Amino acid sequence: MQRLLLFVDEVSAYVGKAFAWLILALTFGITYEVMSRYLFNAPTSWAFDASYMMYGTLFMMAGAYTLSRNGHVRGDVLYGFFPPRLQAGLDLLLYLVFFIPGVVALIWAGTDFAEYSWGIREHSSVSADGPPLYPFKTIIPIAGALLLAQGLVEIVRCAVCLRRGEWPSRERDVEEVDVDELKKMVSFDDREIELAAQALREREQSK
Amino acid sequence: MKRGVWFGLAIMAVVVLLVAVLMPAPAEMTRGHLGLLMLALIVVAIMLGFPTAFTLMGMGMFFGWLAFDYDTQKVLDLMVQRTFLVMTNDVLISIPLFVFMGYVVERANIIDKLFRSLHLALSEVPGSLAVATLVTCAIFATATGIVGAVVTLMGLLAFPAMLRHGYSVRLSAGAITAGGCLGILIPPSIMLIVYGATAGVSVVKLYAGAFLPGLMLTALYIGYVIVLAKLRPDLAPPLAEEEKRVPAPAWAEALMRDGRSLPIGLAAAALSPRGHPGAPQGEVWKMLIVAVLPLATAVLVMGMSYWGFAERATQLDAEPDLPTAIQPLGEATSGTAEPAPRAPGGLQEPPAESGLEQEQAGEPQPLGGVQEPAAEDKPQELTGGGMALDPAEAGGAPQALGVQAPPAAAGQGQDAATEPHTGWQIPVAVIAVVLAAILVWFYWFLDWKHLEVGWMLLTSFFPLTVLILAVLGTIVFGLATPSEAAAIGSVGGILLALAYRQLTWGRMKESVFLTARTSAMVCWLFVGSSIFAAAFALLGGQALVEQWVLSLNLTPIQFMLLSQVIIFLLGWPLEWTEIIVIFMPIFIPLLAHFDIDPLFFGLLVALNLQTAFLSPPVAMAAFYLKGVAPPEVTLNQIFVGMLPFMGLQLVALALLYAFPEIGLWLPNYLYK
Repeated sequence: MQRLLLFVDEVSAYVGKAFAWLILALTFGITYEVMSRYLFNAPTSWAFDASYMMYGTLFMMAGAYTLSRNGHVRGDVLYGFFPPRLQAGLDLLLYLVFFIPGVVALIWAGTDFAEYSWGIREHSSVSADGPPLYPFKTIIPIAGALLLAQGLVEIVRCAVCLRRGEWPSRERDVEEVDVDELKKMVSFDDREIELAAQALREREQSK
Repeated sequence: MKRGVWFGLAIMAVVVLLVAVLMPAPAEMTRGHLGLLMLALIVVAIMLGFPTAFTLMGMGMFFGWLAFDYDTQKVLDLMVQRTFLVMTNDVLISIPLFVFMGYVVERANIIDKLFRSLHLALSEVPGSLAVATLVTCAIFATATGIVGAVVTLMGLLAFPAMLRHGYSVRLSAGAITAGGCLGILIPPSIMLIVYGATAGVSVVKLYAGAFLPGLMLTALYIGYVIVLAKLRPDLAPPLAEEEKRVPAPAWAEALMRDGRSLPIGLAAAALSPRGHPGAPQGEVWKMLIVAVLPLATAVLVMGMSYWGFAERATQLDAEPDLPTAIQPLGEATSGTAEPAPRAPGGLQEPPAESGLEQEQAGEPQPLGGVQEPAAEDKPQELTGGGMALDPAEAGGAPQALGVQAPPAAAGQGQDAATEPHTGWQIPVAVIAVVLAAILVWFYWFLDWKHLEVGWMLLTSFFPLTVLILAVLGTIVFGLATPSEAAAIGSVGGILLALAYRQLTWGRMKESVFLTARTSAMVCWLFVGSSIFAAAFALLGGQALVEQWVLSLNLTPIQFMLLSQVIIFLLGWPLEWTEIIVIFMPIFIPLLAHFDIDPLFFGLLVALNLQTAFLSPPVAMAAFYLKGVAPPEVTLNQIFVGMLPFMGLQLVALALLYAFPEIGLWLPNYLYK
């Protein structure tokens, strides 16, 4: 069971990470556009279409990856204090009530949307010879499907937690605030904290 | 379960009960009521802790289905259209780019050096460590925008240092947490992009508008710390003398012992083919660059102001209605001003040479060269020196001339009409004198510490500041769109990381992956909220809210206060992203009724939501700091320490409210 969970996690992460690299293309692409506009006085016609396509694809495809790392923002004022079983129960309920119907509808609607676009071979109308839009629109059902798979895995996680009373483990990944990493970066010496604590204690005594 | 949880659950139960009681019976329920029900339910659902993006999406879908009278196809179309709009949104596109820039800069490990250099540079200021902390935070948080990382890093670097120097726990904790949150307000901040995208306000204007309030808040923080340190030195004791000193290496001591001043010695050592015995040539050049920099800046400023004023004067001279006879006079006097720009160059030498000379001997001599043109116009300088600028600036408006001329004429006895054309040398001379005085003063007191700190600032403070200002400048002056500036900023961040030799493959990967996750988090939230907002609008919830608010007969001030209080209260259970994407679409349409500028409202909201980051017990900043603090420091101490800074935020909010010009002056000046 755990193996299956981690496998789907891995697929989500793999896809999300692969598409994450679009940020580099986006960064350098736009920079190139600005340079060619100012330095070579030759603005590019593809930059606008290309940049929103990269941005849209990037965040849509990272949705499942973010879910697999529990990275979607949640109101955790109360949630954080709940015991794991209550957390899992609520999550399970809301996955079934909100998540599954919403995402299934998105996949369904997205498929129609993309199908139509493929049918008429839709091109972007921003510039005269706009790039094709249909691959970009196909991103919606694909990202939805990935999200659905990841959501099903999260549901299983909730069920496991309901039975065991603790959350099953997740894949380790880079964190926004990883104290150990940050300490390493500034070559922090843990004795610093000890020294500060000592200073505090001395101050306390002298009072 | 803890008592707090029961309390929270009770609140939710009350909301549900209230909804049940206040709502009309299902039979009489209008669609607008459904909309309000939806709004009440979303607050409850968000508090249950499910990922908000999907709560919004699911609920928006159900209520949208109701709004379309159970027409499934329509609701599907709506969902996919809304999703596609978010995917092609040309405002949101800057979010991944700014996030990426933040992660790259964060991982360049500049903060360590930045803090150390500022800490030395500010060592004479009362409460220097706390002030240095605030400045470091302001710059670093602005460049990265990641509260957690900034607070954690400062908790590692500054917190133990402050505690060991006898700073009070509360002040130290307050400075770090408050400083770490500054990046949320000071542009380029993600929050303003999210607001701009939701409210349809130009991000460019928001950035221009938020800049001064952000600086004002920083200044309030710093002012508070300085005053507190002056009044209560026991809370923030001054640094010991040996802490302030930066020992000069032996070779630098030797340079100075030769009886020469430091800059001259450095220049001699750098230029002599064999170098100075024992002095590493690289170090010598480094310090020489720092030593020459103020001089170069002064010459540059001088040159620019000279050309600027001269240009303006020739423009005025070119105007046809001027008596031609005066022109030679103008040219003749411009000749006397010519030495002025060169003066600083000539000035620089004497103090440098006069390492042993007395000050009296050194001072008048260099000034003499500049004084000549200045002395000629001395009376004017006193009476009309400042005013003499005005006619030139007014572009020769006849009225201004008439008013301006008498005092000047009284001083000099010149023909009034010549004033704007010859008078321009006076400000130039004044600038020259002031610059020369500053240079003399600077080089007189220049010692090793200044050079060392100068070099540290040059390699930590300046690159970051330049990066931020370049990104902001290109946006605000309309050279590039926010997304373009963000892309260039990211490239700048990568170059910075390269320059610091911190750009490893691993760090790059981390930044890229984190960017994907943070962007997905924000943008999926937008997908959910735009579906939700569409359903809310379809149900007519908006119209009902508007009706209700208008029936209250509020004055604009009352409405403003009420909305800010509501946003402040929402900041307690909800994240800022949720507040903006869910509630701003409800507030924004109301603004027109009360004649409130959405731009100004956005600035107030941004400042207001910042307080949420510091309000206990939800303030994330406190938990990040607690995570790296010594075990003796309690969470309560940190919370108490944040309170004065939260108070200052409210002061800033009140100031901005009372004087909207603080925020609106810059955008109005630039774009109208």
